[in-house]
Amino acid sequence: MDEVILRFLWIYTWFVLIATIGLGLYGIAVKPNMLKKIISLTILGDTANVFMIYVGYRAVYPIKPPVLWTMNPSKEVLENFASQITDPVPPALVITAIVINMAITILITFLAIQAYRLYGTLDSRKISKLRG
Amino acid sequence: MIPILHLSLISIVLTLGMVFAYLAISERDLLKAIVYSAGQAAMYVIAFYLLMAPDIVLAYAAVGVGVYSAVMIIAVKKTERYEKP
Amino acid sequence: MSKKNLVITSITLTSIVLGLIISLGVLGPIPLTSIRPLGLFYALFMANRNITIEVFPLIVNPGNFWAASTEAITAILWDYRGLDTLFETSVFFFAIIGSIALFRFTEKEEHEIRKKTHENHASEGKYLGLSLITKTITKIILFTIIVVSAAIALHGQLTPGGGFQGGSAFAVAPLLAIAALSRFYLDDIGFKKNTMLLLRTMGLLIIALLAIIPVVAGIGSWQAYIMQNQPKEWAIIQLFPPKGLGVLLGSLVYYNIAELLAVGAGFTIIFILLSIPEEFYKKIIEKEGVEHG
Repeated sequence: MDEVILRFLWIYTWFVLIATIGLGLYGIAVKPNMLKKIISLTILGDTANVFMIYVGYRAVYPIKPPVLWTMNPSKEVLENFASQITDPVPPALVITAIVINMAITILITFLAIQAYRLYGTLDSRKISKLRG
Repeated sequence: MIPILHLSLISIVLTLGMVFAYLAISERDLLKAIVYSAGQAAMYVIAFYLLMAPDIVLAYAAVGVGVYSAVMIIAVKKTERYEKP
Repeated sequence: MSKKNLVITSITLTSIVLGLIISLGVLGPIPLTSIRPLGLFYALFMANRNITIEVFPLIVNPGNFWAASTEAITAILWDYRGLDTLFETSVFFFAIIGSIALFRFTEKEEHEIRKKTHENHASEGKYLGLSLITKTITKIILFTIIVVSAAIALHGQLTPGGGFQGGSAFAVAPLLAIAALSRFYLDDIGFKKNTMLLLRTMGLLIIALLAIIPVVAGIGSWQAYIMQNQPKEWAIIQLFPPKGLGVLLGSLVYYNIAELLAVGAGFTIIFILLSIPEEFYKKIIEKEGVEHG
């Protein structure tokens, strides 16, 4: 019974995450306002990050972050440690992804502000019709 | 039993995050949309904590809730508040 | 509106197909109970100098993979994939260079806008920023934020935290200062745009130098490697002491400090640029338009 509930929750969470990614894609593709597109982009990027962390999660108890509690570990400590931790590789990839995502988001926000200064609008349909 | 509790908490938090994301994308007032987006970021911070990634919590709490919202609010102030249909 | 419906339908279909594929078990058994071998490798060898583990029978000398860190994520970031992180930091660097290029102004123009703002406020009988109580409390909080971010960065190799996390926490400080104390306060305490540019260039340069120093020191002996962070067992040149002040040091702590400088100063520049009023930029654009026809 426990196995079935765990499996259901696991698959349900996958569907929720993928639906959020779909929402982000919808916002980027359909909404005309530039700032709305940027908000959708941040939602898409953050959900992709949660997705990656979720791949490294383990359904065991006790579960701990991959931080060792001693500087000179013995063999028993290491075996105990290996049985309790989450995967350290996805967080290491995500931590840079967050900072780079934010740098890129800030750059496009600046570009949107500059576009508003020059053209007086944030509507991507109007900007795409401008010539010269 | 405890992994089930843990996973159900994670699924609840991520579902709330999805609801906030829907509200943020469907809202026409950009300031409200930014607030909903910050709510979604707060939900994801809790999700990262439950998924045992304390490093991500430290970075994302400041970035997702603070910096994103601040930059977008200043951008809205410099441009226009309402999204035209 | 058929185009919009097409987009919605395709996104929905893709989501359902992706969800079904993942729930069938493409990303491993569901739900995952064992840890992946790569993650296990990093977690077991980052602080382990002398214990051989049966799970990895091919590794007879674990000291070769030692990273002088008790935290796996910082160890992976700055040791196992250090060059990757160096280049990611440079992406951050160039994104902010792009922002500065868009919002450009000279020091003379900045001085003018400062004088004008002060005159406007004086003529209306107003003060810059919020009330005195708020200002004093904000100054205390600013100090606390800076201390906390430095602590997060300096403890990066021992507890959760590191350069990126410390820098992100630091980013709240200039934001708070601009909101409560006006943006001239940042100028007055020395957080000028050019100083911050210098600081973050320095951060990136320190990271690059720390990566190259072992190679330079090892010319002739051929026993050093680029970004050879920790004093590995087989290396003759061992530059960074593994222990000091009673804790593990290695080279991770220097990388974290440099990263804190780069990220924190980069954010400060962004908020300084964003806090300048819009009329000022409009004037500059008009002037440039006249000059270039």
